[in-house]
Amino acid sequence: MRSPFKTFLASGNVFIWGCAAGVSVSLLMVFGLLLLIVINGLGYFWTSNVVDLTLKSGQHVMGQLAGREVIPRSVTPDRPEGKGRLRVKIGNRDINGLDFKWVNEDQIVSQAYPADAALLERREWGNMYGRVKAVYKGETLQVEGNDAGWIALAPLISATNDLHQQIARIEQIEIGSINAELEQARLKTRSFELGKERGSLNDLTAQIAAAESRYQAKTVELDALRTQFDEYSVLMVDANGQEKQISVGQIIRALHPNEMGLLHKSWIYLTNVWSVVSTEPREANTEGGIFPAIFGTVMMVIIMSLVVAPFGVLAALYLREYARQGVMVRLVRIAVNNLAGVPSIVFGVFGLGFFIYAIGGTLDTLFFPERLPTPTFGTGGILWASLTLALLTVPVVIVATEEGLAAVPREFREGSLALGATKLETMLKVVIPSALPGILTGLILAMARAAGEVAPLMLTGVVKLAPSLPVDGSWPFFHFDRKFMHLGFHIYDVGFQSPNVEAAKPMVYITTLVLIAVVVLLNCTAIVLRNHLRKKYAGSVL
Amino acid sequence: MHVHAPLHSITHPSTSLTWRRIFDRLAQVVITMGGIAVILSIIGIFVFLVKEVTPLFFSPQGNQTGLVAGAPPPTALPQSSLVGMDEHQELIYQLIGGSDRQIRFFNVRSGAPIPYNIPTDLANVHVTSIARAVGTLDRFALGTEDGRLIPVTIEFAASFEGVRQVVPTVTLGSPVQLAPAPERIIRLAYQPTERGTLTAALTDRGSLWYSISPFDHPPAALTGHGSEPVTSLIFDSRGETLLVGTAAGNLYYYNVRDDAEPSLIEVVSVAPSGTSVTALSYLIGDRSLVIGTSAGDVSVWMPVRQTQESQITPLRQIHRFDAHPAPVTGISPSLRDKGFITGDAQGNLFVHYSTSAQTLLKLAGNQGAIRTLTFSPKANGAVALTGKGELLTYEIHNPHPETTIASLFKPVWYEGYEKPEHVWQSSSGADDFEAKFGFLPLIFGTLKGTFYAMLVAVPLALLGAIYTSMFMHPNLRAKVKPTIEIMAALPTVILGFLAGLWLAPLLERMFPAMVAMTVVVPASVAITATLWHYLPATIIRRLRPGMETFVLIPIIVGTAWLCLGLNQPIESFLFGSDYKAWFATHWGLRYDQRNALVVGFAMGFAIVPIIFSISEEALSNVPRHLIAGSLALGATRWQTLVKLMLISASPGIFSAIMIGFGRAIGETMIVLMATGNTPIMDWSLFNGFRTLSANIAVEIPEAPHGGTLYRLLFLAAVLLFAFTFLINTIAEIVRQRLRTKYSQY
Repeated sequence: MRSPFKTFLASGNVFIWGCAAGVSVSLLMVFGLLLLIVINGLGYFWTSNVVDLTLKSGQHVMGQLAGREVIPRSVTPDRPEGKGRLRVKIGNRDINGLDFKWVNEDQIVSQAYPADAALLERREWGNMYGRVKAVYKGETLQVEGNDAGWIALAPLISATNDLHQQIARIEQIEIGSINAELEQARLKTRSFELGKERGSLNDLTAQIAAAESRYQAKTVELDALRTQFDEYSVLMVDANGQEKQISVGQIIRALHPNEMGLLHKSWIYLTNVWSVVSTEPREANTEGGIFPAIFGTVMMVIIMSLVVAPFGVLAALYLREYARQGVMVRLVRIAVNNLAGVPSIVFGVFGLGFFIYAIGGTLDTLFFPERLPTPTFGTGGILWASLTLALLTVPVVIVATEEGLAAVPREFREGSLALGATKLETMLKVVIPSALPGILTGLILAMARAAGEVAPLMLTGVVKLAPSLPVDGSWPFFHFDRKFMHLGFHIYDVGFQSPNVEAAKPMVYITTLVLIAVVVLLNCTAIVLRNHLRKKYAGSVL
Repeated sequence: MHVHAPLHSITHPSTSLTWRRIFDRLAQVVITMGGIAVILSIIGIFVFLVKEVTPLFFSPQGNQTGLVAGAPPPTALPQSSLVGMDEHQELIYQLIGGSDRQIRFFNVRSGAPIPYNIPTDLANVHVTSIARAVGTLDRFALGTEDGRLIPVTIEFAASFEGVRQVVPTVTLGSPVQLAPAPERIIRLAYQPTERGTLTAALTDRGSLWYSISPFDHPPAALTGHGSEPVTSLIFDSRGETLLVGTAAGNLYYYNVRDDAEPSLIEVVSVAPSGTSVTALSYLIGDRSLVIGTSAGDVSVWMPVRQTQESQITPLRQIHRFDAHPAPVTGISPSLRDKGFITGDAQGNLFVHYSTSAQTLLKLAGNQGAIRTLTFSPKANGAVALTGKGELLTYEIHNPHPETTIASLFKPVWYEGYEKPEHVWQSSSGADDFEAKFGFLPLIFGTLKGTFYAMLVAVPLALLGAIYTSMFMHPNLRAKVKPTIEIMAALPTVILGFLAGLWLAPLLERMFPAMVAMTVVVPASVAITATLWHYLPATIIRRLRPGMETFVLIPIIVGTAWLCLGLNQPIESFLFGSDYKAWFATHWGLRYDQRNALVVGFAMGFAIVPIIFSISEEALSNVPRHLIAGSLALGATRWQTLVKLMLISASPGIFSAIMIGFGRAIGETMIVLMATGNTPIMDWSLFNGFRTLSANIAVEIPEAPHGGTLYRLLFLAAVLLFAFTFLINTIAEIVRQRLRTKYSQY
């Protein structure tokens, strides 16, 4: 008789538990990762209270708490054993130089949340924490004192925010269109010189002169607005009494977080979320919004889909319905399948060599000689990036479409042909509609893959900061030669190339959150759509 | 046909039928052509990539393009003529000894002499030797019969007014008396430097004078070479060393760094006895010295430090090149890279490249001995002077001299290294930088990253797949499987970012806890299993199969949490005080924050779902009746798994691992973000590496279109493509065979 323990071992149950642990760890990794990103990403929008720490040295540290840890061994040899330290976002980068500060807990004498602690969101230099001391108009004192200054500040900020929008509109739209016109005229002049353009050079010169005078007028207008924009200034004082005068034009929003109720904070939270997804980045991408990156990602994925869908379906139709099935088609099928496993950077290299240098370079010499040596299509752009990703994802569409076509029963085709329909009619009216779930699934999976790829884009046209979107109001509205921003590249760039990684981290988490949301949403849509269409066709056709 | 025709005409009007047929045919043509076009373009990717790489391995082309009648050099004077050309290869010039028209210009194409008024200062000067400064093409010195030296600069100005016009300018410096007595200078070395102008002159009486001007010291007589006849003289471009080659095959190495007396550092025998040193030349950067001998041997020598500590750097022969059939008469280095050309007494011209130790091109001559020769400024042509006074022009097309298959994959002895090594260092700020294109560190890095990723992913994914396919309730499985699979859809840039900015710092702080976890977590699982065994059977039976996973989740989280919380006690227990110091002293390892461990976790995470999904499918597809049979015969679940399922699904599991491997090989963003991207060859867990794919991403923005680096990065892409394609094909074939096997049951 064996001991019960030995039978237990022989039964292999321990190993089964080991296998279960494999699943547990995998699941933990998935949910842990999602949780990490969601907490870090969503936490950023919440306006936490402003704390005022009084230290043993008499110094004050004011800011928002950003974490706590046990002091690691490597920090200092004479650290207090087992004690913790707090990470405080102290802002005031123009005064302190750093956004974050570690404060050892044993140095803290008291901790307070003063109601009048103000948080100023600024266009430059990050947040400011402190109190209002006075408000000036030019050099003259308008209001003095914390409360009175605060009350006077609110209408001024909303006025300068309006002005800011006005200035941005003039700079981007009005001056932008004048610049585009000037550029056009200059290019025409250049191609006139190259002997390609007919017409009168005098007209062009006159056109340039007219546009330039309009430009001058706009500049004068802008100067006036800018003076107005910087008219008021506020004198802030930080927790240690250091004063700093800043222009009201620099302030986006002023808050007293410690006075705000839950409802108010929730409202601020929502406006924060909205401003991130709808505005442009500031401060070397570490603050502001990610709208251009979202726009670039979506537009690139749309162009890619427009290319990949017809070609992928065409290739799959050929392989499954028109080609003679044999060894050759089987080999091609394996090759197409395996292409999906080829590293994405390889496609990027191909895109760079083929689309940009070979095709783009040729297009430039043929159609845009007046712009050379500045390349138009001979450099990275959204079109080339989309085409590269289309190549990368075409196997996904082909494989999924083929699976869809293979699933359509033979009887459908035979029935249709027997009723006298041609092969084309059979395809269009019977086979493709039945295979539509497969095709759409493939397309959506391709879009999800394309939305998350970064490596090939780095070679084919993504940039850290694009001056203008690929779609705008100036002719021809769609600018396929323009470089663009992308969520995935934004993560790489802000997280790894920015000068102040610590301050940039929240931005990276938010971008990650948006990207994950896009990708997971697309994948879930693919799954739901597949199931839904499968049911629908299963009901109607069979 | 007779039967069908009326039937058609009844059911359809014939015009519509025609159109329908036309459309059908048209669609068939369009779809066939479109389909073939898409498939061809996919294949075209590979063809295009290969096409961009092949110029790297083209043999260099070259030929003699012209012959211009110049002046024959005086036979009695060994160093009495020099030639050269401008960078557009429009003009060639000849400097010639004697007292008449010592500088002459010719049009390359027509061969016609270009009228040029010789500076009056040269009118009554008898030139007996000519030298070019090392590292330049345009600075010369003329040595005269009466022991004087006259610096000369020849410059070209190109004007573009419709047609390119190249106009030469000659500037003379003030003459300097070299030899104390008016003796004829027959050999000369000349080097203008920041410290002053260095000269070494051999007179027809056999004395060798060294001087530096402006003069602080009288010319010094160098006597180290004894009675051996001096056959060549050269300074390096910074003016730190003077090399004297003799007819006895010895090289005398003088230090002239100090302005006072030159000191003889070393005597090296560089040629076998009976042969003399006939030509010396430094390659750009002054580190490699090319030596040509009367036996026709061509070799490159470098100062090589013998040990890390030693300060002495004796000259050693590093590379040998194909020998000339006759004495080497001239060597001319390229000013752009480590290439050089050599000429011999039979008129042959060879093109060599130092780094790869290759003789790239051999142009046989039939015009008689070459007396001197010069590489063109862009290293795309050459001009040589024969003994008969003919100026031969050559065209050399050699855009990628740096690379050969051997130099990419074998160790190469680079300048400043103690032995041949594998190095990747494609660019640097300095002009005289030697590009180091060793692919092995990159391939090594790729394999290292993949290895650690597989180490994490394979056990996890296989255990998970086994459990999900075999022991989990189907309803639960339908939820768990897609959850794990959605990980595959996560953009890798996200994993890279988390690995680099979240995991790397965390791991650095919590490394001891992580070490403990690798033991404690499995132990906690084993303990749970044992305890579970002793639970009352009624409770166990009530649980669905698959609940083990959810029982384990809190236990694993709890033990992991415990380990993290006890990080510092664990560190003290395992490593004394500081684990970094412990590893440094015990194993000599340095801990970098972004290291292979971090990449292993992150990339492992990325390939877990791939391996999981495919091997789970292979296991699930093992025919049910086989499993039922095994269980019915009394085998336990575990025995059925090990003896039946794993064996019959092993091809599927193999192909899952292969596909995961292929994915890890080409992953770019994770390695780019989570390692330091340093191309080192070291298996250590604690330092980074650079993979082929990350290397492409890092370097291609700076690689000029069509250059060597650009093509090498394409080669990296081709390697990645071919390798992953091969692996995936093998995996796919294995999988298809498995499917056929299963379908037989």
